[in-house]
Parts: sequence; structure tokens; C-alpha cells
Amino acid sequence: MIVLDHVSKSFDGGSSFALHDVSLTIEQGETFVLLGSSGSGKTTILRLISRLIEPTAGTIAVDGRDLRDYTEIALRRNMGYVFQGIGLFPHMTVADNVAVGLRLVGEPAPQREAKARALLELVELEPDAFVHRFPGELSGGQQQRVAVARALATDPDYLLMDEPFGALDALTRESLQAEVLRLKAKLGKTIVFVTHDIVEAFLLGDRIGVCNEGRLEQVGTRRELLRQPATDFVRALIARPLQQLQAFQELQ
Amino acid sequence: MSGLDHVLAVIEANGVELWLRTGQHIMLTGVSTLIAICIGIPLGVFAAKHARAERPLLAGVGILQTVPSLAMLALLLAMLQQIGALPAIIALTLYALLPIVRNTVTGLRGIAPDIREAARGVGMTAAQQLRLVELPLALPVIVAGVRTAAVVGVGIATLSAFIGAGGLGQFINRGLALSNTDLILLGAIPSALLALAVDGAIAAFQWGIESRRRVREPAGIWAARMATVLPALILVIGAIAFWSTTGGGSVRRAAEHGGPGAGGTVRIGAKNFTENLLLAEMIAQLLEARTDLRIERRYGLGGTMIAHNALRDGAIDLYVEYTGTALTAILRAPSMSDPEAVYDHVSEAYAERFDLVWLTPFRINNAYALAVRRAMARERAWTTISDLAREAKSLRAGFTPEFSERPDGYPGLAAVYGLAFGRVYDLEAALMYRALAEGEVDVISAYATDGRIEALQLLLLDDDRHFFPPYFAVPVVRAGLLARHPEIGTVIAPLSNSLDDKIMRALNWAVDGEKRNPRKVATEFLRAKKLLPAVTESTLHGAP
Repeated sequence: MIVLDHVSKSFDGGSSFALHDVSLTIEQGETFVLLGSSGSGKTTILRLISRLIEPTAGTIAVDGRDLRDYTEIALRRNMGYVFQGIGLFPHMTVADNVAVGLRLVGEPAPQREAKARALLELVELEPDAFVHRFPGELSGGQQQRVAVARALATDPDYLLMDEPFGALDALTRESLQAEVLRLKAKLGKTIVFVTHDIVEAFLLGDRIGVCNEGRLEQVGTRRELLRQPATDFVRALIARPLQQLQAFQELQ
Repeated sequence: MSGLDHVLAVIEANGVELWLRTGQHIMLTGVSTLIAICIGIPLGVFAAKHARAERPLLAGVGILQTVPSLAMLALLLAMLQQIGALPAIIALTLYALLPIVRNTVTGLRGIAPDIREAARGVGMTAAQQLRLVELPLALPVIVAGVRTAAVVGVGIATLSAFIGAGGLGQFINRGLALSNTDLILLGAIPSALLALAVDGAIAAFQWGIESRRRVREPAGIWAARMATVLPALILVIGAIAFWSTTGGGSVRRAAEHGGPGAGGTVRIGAKNFTENLLLAEMIAQLLEARTDLRIERRYGLGGTMIAHNALRDGAIDLYVEYTGTALTAILRAPSMSDPEAVYDHVSEAYAERFDLVWLTPFRINNAYALAVRRAMARERAWTTISDLAREAKSLRAGFTPEFSERPDGYPGLAAVYGLAFGRVYDLEAALMYRALAEGEVDVISAYATDGRIEALQLLLLDDDRHFFPPYFAVPVVRAGLLARHPEIGTVIAPLSNSLDDKIMRALNWAVDGEKRNPRKVATEFLRAKKLLPAVTESTLHGAP
């Protein structure tokens, strides 16, 4: 369980806030989607949770303990992070990328390789075809699968995914979204998923938090958001896919 | 003899030494580059991580780079108080730092932010981020910096011969001193080839590490691995060349470098011009033949101050200095014209200040003099410097850098005669005589005993205001050594009566003009004067 209590974050010493007084509870085992446009603060929340940055005010607790009671290293090893820019290490093979977290905790090479193969299979990449390749030789979708495998390597309780499929074409994105649903059913991880795509948010999220200009406008299930939008912003946001659908139908 | 035959003959005559000098050259460059890598990469990492340290650090190593190479060598010589490999390696290391530090910073800064964040995000400690991600990704840029450093180092290392560190510069140095183009090329061409080889080897290394990320077929992997070994291969060749010819001797000497003349050894220095070298060689051969002392030759020292500091600090035990030079350039005393007064003054001051002893002077007055073309002197009716001074404004002068600076050189001359030449060019001593003869300049700062004055139809102008002090050649020796081995003085003394200006000019010409080997010229002279028996040990190792 992750609890944010009145958390604010300023990057310029307090003249402006990227995140403003956010309180939020993410339950064990759920997929929580942070939905918002760029600059809304959703990625900031993710980076705060993994202590890549520190809050200006407020506290964050993971599994009942204040974040600052964990060492950064131990914390991050319990939180698989899939980065927006993918962030695979270009000088390491696919296998080395996947198993890098295991290397950090001193697991011997043969075990690492075996685990890397199992993880590649889990994300539906043929191990023999991929272990020795380098990230530069993979397609965007393949890279993203490797990134997911890397995030899962240390068997973390939490999976933090920052717009992982933002840069992919629609078809690849759909297949990876299905992949996330499958992994979630299989592994039961707590997932915090950041996206600007409303459809993706509704598809993946057990609950969705709508971010706007550093504030959390509303937190709820998709049903709650659809039926009882708390603010005009949420109402407009939810209306957009329907408008797009109508426009599309009119064209036909 | 065809051109190729000539080249082969030169190489054959100097084969062993060429191998040795190449080895020394590789060792000097290689060791200093490796040290610079060990210092430069951590400095670069530090600068990249601490934004505030970056500017001062890069400025610091940048300033080191701007110090002229010879000045750097001379400074280190004075600071370390020794000649040889150590100051050379330190100087080369300091020069190599800038490209390595700068490229390390650039390489680390160039890593994409999302890769950095990913490294933190997967739970790497700062040290792991550096070791597993940042340095491997910056490596190609860092290696490019090492490549620059090593190639530049090969070039600068040619200068380390001036402070007795050996290397291919030794040939260039000697070639300049003896006006011997073959020797200059024997140093210059191999060092240029070496620079190309180093550049190529490190380029191959770069290709090797980069293709590890692309190549998967066994042949390609093998080629990439071989490529990364090439720089090490050059180092190994250098080490073999070095140790096979010296047994590591000069390294040991540089490392031990104990007290002056330890263990009955006399280290004889010489400045890098023919006469000084010939006199040093005569002394060396006499001591070898007549005493049990072991002689080490440390020739080619790059100037008066380098030789003097080396003697004062015990890096050498003896060299031939000139009274006037000691008076004005070293002691900075006002010029005097009485030869005996000058000798008394310098020998007293040296004993008092440096614990150095001036032995019996040779009868050679290698005074500075202004030389002009004989034909031009006749045409313009010049016989004295005063005659020349009247037309100085329209004349081009070629002076050695030392003459341009020394109080007993151009500055003093200009004051005493009230003259100022239209243009003054800095010329290497070995080149200025020919430059004058060929009309490139109109007047030079000649040495009175140089054989080229007569051979090239030059004329020395009369110093009618007695500005130039006398420059009698005198062996100067460390007092401690002389006290332990007084025979040094008695063995050298007979040389004094055997030499005069005319004989010296002829000997100088034999080397400068006839391109004869200075060792042989010295041996023949000593034999002719019956100072050496007809066949001595020195004939056995007389020919290099």
C-alpha cells in the first residue's frame, strides 16, 4: 500500500508547484492509473514514490513505513520502474539489461541468465532470439517488453510504469496493453501506471486519478468517473473520446 | 650512392641505437599516457559530478597545456633537481591530462538523462551507476581523448632528449647540434611513423570496443578483440626494445640517482653544440683511459641553464662551461673584459655559491662575435661592430634565442653600441651560419671558434668597444667528486695546452662541415697529441 499525505513538490524553491497538496492511497494489488496531460504532475508522483526526487512538503508511506525509513536502493529494488524513454542500457545485451537488477544484488551469472530467459518468455519474447541482441537492434515494442521484463526481474511488489506505450503505434500499444492485463492477472503486482490516454486509463485502471496542473482533480473507478465527474475538467476530459467517436462516425 | 642505399646505410649505422631510442620513445609516451589516464579519468569524473569544480579544473589542466614544452621541461628540471626520464614523464603526463579530463567530462555529460534515471531507477548505487553505465557509455569519447593525448605525446616526447631522457629526439637533437640532416631525419621520420602507428592502434581499439555492440559472427568478434589489443602491443614492443638494449639501465639510473658520482662513476654532460660535445668527449675518453672511473655520457643538454642546473643539483658531475657565460648568464654579474679577472670571479663565486670547482681553462676563447658575409663586409667597408651599427636599421639579424636574451648578448650589445637591427630572427645555432651564407640574414651571433666561419667565407667583426667578455672553455666539476677523485683534475689538465682557437675551429669543422663522427674526431685528436696511446679501450667502443 502506498499512501501520499498532503504531498507538494516544487522544483524552484517554492515559487511554483509541480504538485500541490496531493493525498492519495494506492491499495495492495490494484492497478492505479494516473491520468493527465503533460505537465499535470502525474510523472512527478511516480518519481516521488520511487524517491528519484524528494517531496517539498508532506509524507509518503509504503507498506506503512515512511519512505525516508527505506534506503533509496532497497526501495527501488522493490519497485520495478518502466521509464517513459524506455531507458534500456544501450551497451548491454537484452539479457544483461533484464538481469541488471539481479547483478546489483550479487546474483551469480548463470542464475541471472536463466532468470532473464524466463522473464523474456513471460513478456513473450523468444529467449534464444533475443538474449544476445542489443537494444538498438530491437523495435520499439520489443524494447518496451524488455523494459517490462527488466522491471520485473527482482520480483518487486510494485511496478511503476511511466507512459510506457506512449511512443508506440496503436497496434503495438494494444497488444502490450493486453500484455499488462495478462501479467497483472498472473503476477498480482500493485501497478501504478501513468498515461495521458483516456482509453488506456479506462482499459487498465482499477482506479484512476485525474491530474491537472499539479492537483488531483478526482480519484475513482471508471464507473465513478463516468457517472459522477467531480469537476468540469474531469467532465470535459471524459467527454473527449465520445466526441472523437462521433466525429469519426460522421466522417463515415 | 642512390637515395635508398643512403637511407639504408644511415639506418644500418645507427640500427641498434634506433631500436633503443624507439623503445625509449614508446616507454616515455606510453608510461606518461597511462599515468595521465589513471589521474585524468578520476579528475574528469569528479568534474562531471561537481559542476562547481568543472571550470577551475578544466582551466587548470588547460593552462598546463599552454606552457611551452621546453619551458615545462626546464621548470621541472629545476623543481625536481634531476635530469632524465622522470621530469620528461611528468611533463608528458601533464600535457596528456587536458584531452583526457575534457573528454571524460564530455563523455559523461553526453549520456542521455533517461539512461541516467533508469540507472538510478533500477536501484544502482552511485558507484554502480558509474561503473556499469556511465563509464562504459562514455568510453568511446574517453578513448578519443586518450588518442589525442598519446599522439600529441609522441610529438612532445622528441623534446625530452634536451633533458637527457633519450627517445627519438636524441637523433634530432644531435643532428641539430652537428648540422647533420641525416640524423635529424633519423629522429623525425620514425617519430612521425610512431605517431601514425599510435593513432592507428587507438583508432583500431575504438573500432574494437564499438563493434562489440554490433558484431556477432565469430570472425568479427575475433577481429574486434584483436583490435583492442593493438595499443598494448605497441607498448610491449617498446618495452622489449627498451630492455633488450639497455637491460633497463637508464630506468634504474633515473630511479637510483644517488649521490654525485656515487660508486666511482662520473656523469659527463654536454650542451647541444659541437664544440661542447667534442670537449666533453675528449674528457670522457681521457678519464676512461687514465682512471678507473666509470663514465656516463649525458650529452645534448638543451641550454646553459639546463646544464648548469643539472650540475648544481648533481644530475651530472662535470661539463665544460665558458667563463663569460658563467659570469653574465649564470651569476648575472656585469660584463668584464680581462680574462683572468673573469676566471677568478667565476671560480670564487662557484665555489662559494654552488660548491663547484673550475679546473684549468682550455686555451679556447669561444667568444660571442658578430659575423657577416665577407663579400658584404668588403663592399660596405665593415671591419668593426661600430661600422655595422651605423647601418643596423636596414639589416636583418639572426640570433640564437639565448643570445637574444642574455645580458652579454643582444640587449647589452645594443646598449653599448647604441644599435638596433631592423629585424631580428630567432635561429637555431646550427642553422644560422648557413642562413647568413645564403643571404637569408645579414649578421649573426657567431661563436668565435666555429669552423663554419672560415668554411662559409664569413667574417668576424672587431668588437671595438670591448663589449663581449672572454669565453674561455673550462671544465666545471662538483667539489665533492673532485675531493674523492683528485686524479680527474690531473688527467684533464694536459688538454689545456693542446688546444687553441685555430685547432678548435678545425675540429669543429671536421664534425659540422665534414660530418665526421665526433667520437672519432676526439679520439684522433687525443692520439695525435699523444694524450692517448695508439690503441686504447676507447677505440673498441668508439664507433656508435
